[in-house]
Amino acid sequence: MKINTVIDNAKSKMTDLPYLTKRFLRNSWAGYLARGANPRDAAVFAKYWIMNWAAILHWIGQSIVKLGPIGFTRALYHNPWILILLRVNGASNRLTLGRSGMYHDSICLIMHTICLGVIDQLRQMLFDPKRLVIFEDLVPYDIGRAMGLNCYLLELMGIVLPILYSDASLPYIDEAENSGMNPDACSLPKATVGMVLKGHMPKGVAMVSSNMPCDAGAASYAFIQRAFNIPTYRVDAPYHFYNERAEKLFAKDVKGMIAWLEQHTPCRMDWDRMREICEGRNRMLELETELWEMISVKPAPLASEAVWLSHIWHFNVTAGHSRSIKLYEKLIKMARRNYENKIAATKNERYRAVLWNPPFLHFGDIFNWAERTYGVVLINDSMTYNHHGPIDTTSPDTMLRDWGRTVMQGPMVRHTRGPAEDYLDDIFRMIEQFNLDMVWVANHVGCKGGQAMNGILRERCRAKGIPLLILDYDLSDRRIVSHDNMMRQVEFFMENVMKAKRLDQQGAA
Amino acid sequence: MMATPGKTMKIFEELLESPQNRLVEQAVKDGRIPIAYSCSYVPEALLMADKLFPVRLHTPGVTGTEIADNYLSSFVCSYCRSLLEFIMDDRFDQIKGWISVPACIHMQRLYDNMEYLKHPTFNHILDVPRKVNEDTLEWMAEELKILADKLAAHFGVDMSEASLKKAMQVWNYFAVDVQSIGELRKEPNPPITGTEFHQMVMAALASPKDLILPVIRDFQKELSAREGIKKYRARLMVVGGHLHDPEFIRIIESQGGLVVADRFCTGTIPGFETIKINGTNPYKNMAQHVFQKAICPRMMEEFDRRLNTIVDIVKEYRVDGVVLEIIKFCDLWGVDAMPLVTALREKGIPVLKLEREYRLGGEGQLRTRVQAFIESMGK
Repeated sequence: MKINTVIDNAKSKMTDLPYLTKRFLRNSWAGYLARGANPRDAAVFAKYWIMNWAAILHWIGQSIVKLGPIGFTRALYHNPWILILLRVNGASNRLTLGRSGMYHDSICLIMHTICLGVIDQLRQMLFDPKRLVIFEDLVPYDIGRAMGLNCYLLELMGIVLPILYSDASLPYIDEAENSGMNPDACSLPKATVGMVLKGHMPKGVAMVSSNMPCDAGAASYAFIQRAFNIPTYRVDAPYHFYNERAEKLFAKDVKGMIAWLEQHTPCRMDWDRMREICEGRNRMLELETELWEMISVKPAPLASEAVWLSHIWHFNVTAGHSRSIKLYEKLIKMARRNYENKIAATKNERYRAVLWNPPFLHFGDIFNWAERTYGVVLINDSMTYNHHGPIDTTSPDTMLRDWGRTVMQGPMVRHTRGPAEDYLDDIFRMIEQFNLDMVWVANHVGCKGGQAMNGILRERCRAKGIPLLILDYDLSDRRIVSHDNMMRQVEFFMENVMKAKRLDQQGAA
Repeated sequence: MMATPGKTMKIFEELLESPQNRLVEQAVKDGRIPIAYSCSYVPEALLMADKLFPVRLHTPGVTGTEIADNYLSSFVCSYCRSLLEFIMDDRFDQIKGWISVPACIHMQRLYDNMEYLKHPTFNHILDVPRKVNEDTLEWMAEELKILADKLAAHFGVDMSEASLKKAMQVWNYFAVDVQSIGELRKEPNPPITGTEFHQMVMAALASPKDLILPVIRDFQKELSAREGIKKYRARLMVVGGHLHDPEFIRIIESQGGLVVADRFCTGTIPGFETIKINGTNPYKNMAQHVFQKAICPRMMEEFDRRLNTIVDIVKEYRVDGVVLEIIKFCDLWGVDAMPLVTALREKGIPVLKLEREYRLGGEGQLRTRVQAFIESMGK
């Protein structure tokens, strides 16, 4: 490289410095204090700030001991995204902006549990790779845990990293596209494939994937299997799944998966452990249902991240885990305290919204902004909402049947198969159940299945008089639709459809 | 290079001008029942029982998809959008029943939108598994039985075991005839171009089999009197999803390529396999048949089969290069193409990957790319 190019590059980087410094300060503890949070909230934030750093430093220390300094440096070199985890407090800072009391605390708590959960994933990934099995994100690894395997959800970092840092997935998306993956595919499989291509993923000894939720995700495993060159089992959920015949087929498939895992790993199925996990799941389901009952009341005692972020991690990654159960118990306590004292999560609650389709990963704080700007409060979302029953833990067969049902009737899976009613009915059911004022569709450009339902949904909402915002964005890539553009779409909707004024203009009017 | 179109070729061309050709109209006048389908995982033989006959959906001459875009969005594959546009324009007014497969999310949502917008009286979705084993084979056989029972109840047709066996035999006669023409393409100087062959196949798929079979047999006779094509630069194979318009192949061949093998949804390899009729369960025979005759990236465990089929065809048909055509927004082929192209190139097989729309467009660009591809092979 010529010296002039180096100087030009350096100059170009220098021009970003003021912006980067400003962003760093805004996301730091100093930035938190500078926004004038009350001392109680600041103390809670400080507590979690310290706990997050303590957990990270503990993990670093543990890794140096287990892997050795060179091994740890090598792990960081091969998985540079690990460093993004250091931004967890910055993300908490952004998400708590404008929030106080229990609502504020619940978000700090959830971010902390996610921080601990990611660290657990890193332990599983780095400390015992010989027992590591890769799972696709919609095959919860409850069975893997019951077998005593180390498990890693391949798409997990494609989901978590953009929440911590908006641009985290971009180098991986570019890598996948440059290697020939179709640019119009969903950016989550693109990011996952990109991470595999760059060698930033653990390989494991075996892999379990599925036909869920979408074509791009399922098809990407042909490539991933070739890249990893490890044996792969694929679970196949039928299209019509609300019937006994489908449940039987799926349970048989899952049984096949267990036998296959026993064949390809040194571990064996422990049904007592599976029972504990299923009972833990049931407990979480019970607690979450209680939370929903409380938030269905106007004004909601907790909302937004307390609902969706907690579910997306704890039900999909660590369902049944004692930490996840404790989190839900704490959320219930917080919600109940607000509920009984008639304290709203946010004093600004004017409109109650449901978010349909995947959440805005790289712009997780858009609901925070919408709350502060228009009083729009996210009450529940399609990734969280479900109405399946608990798992019958009487016998291995009942567990398999009901666990399979939980997967097939879980969020995303049931909305991407079966007739249109599977997708639409939940929306209208939620409107009734949660006393909602509007529907927001997260119109992810890569999600063709969702895009193709917008026409019907628009007409159905119009017929029922339900305001509908179809908000264009890309799941993990803000270059497709910028944050500013997303906020403008909300503004147009609020001003033209809802005839709502910004909260800061209401006084002036 | 092109042979002068004979009498039968003109018939095939004419049959492809309309989504419901005159043979379909003639069969309907005779009291027969056309059942539409759009995916290779539907066994045609099942829809050939008694008075039924299958019509593969295509949209010749589609110009725009404005209405379909409103419902399906412009991010859905243009084949599905074209179908919905024609459905909304009542261009399939003769069709009495619709069979869909949730082969991909696009097809699945096409079914949903059609159901919502047109409420067809017979609209069935066949739940085809995405992997093949004893359990899914059983499931597929049950799915076919459910469909057969529904057809029998709705149309009053005979879907008995004997009727289905007869239909499978008719399919086998038909498939053998088409295959025998396809076999000619293995010759060093085949008497038929890829364009002609595709015209014949598409016309056959869009017509009642018994009515088009005499025309195909005439074409066979015509071919036996023809000289082989000597003037071509490279023998090509076309691989990919739905390819209906023979003009796409004509353009490839206009640059000196001779398309000798078709490994796409409406192609004959292995789309026109015969059905192995054995045992007492015709549904199981048909289930085995569809899993064998269709090779789609929707099948999760069949990447190696997809790859090896192409490699085998390359050897068998002495193919110089593979043209991989993918309809824009098709996630299945779009994602699968990445390892497929790499694997083929690793095996020394030249590949041209083309992203295209369902209807023919960008002809100049297509010509240039094919020309460059042939030159890159040193032909």
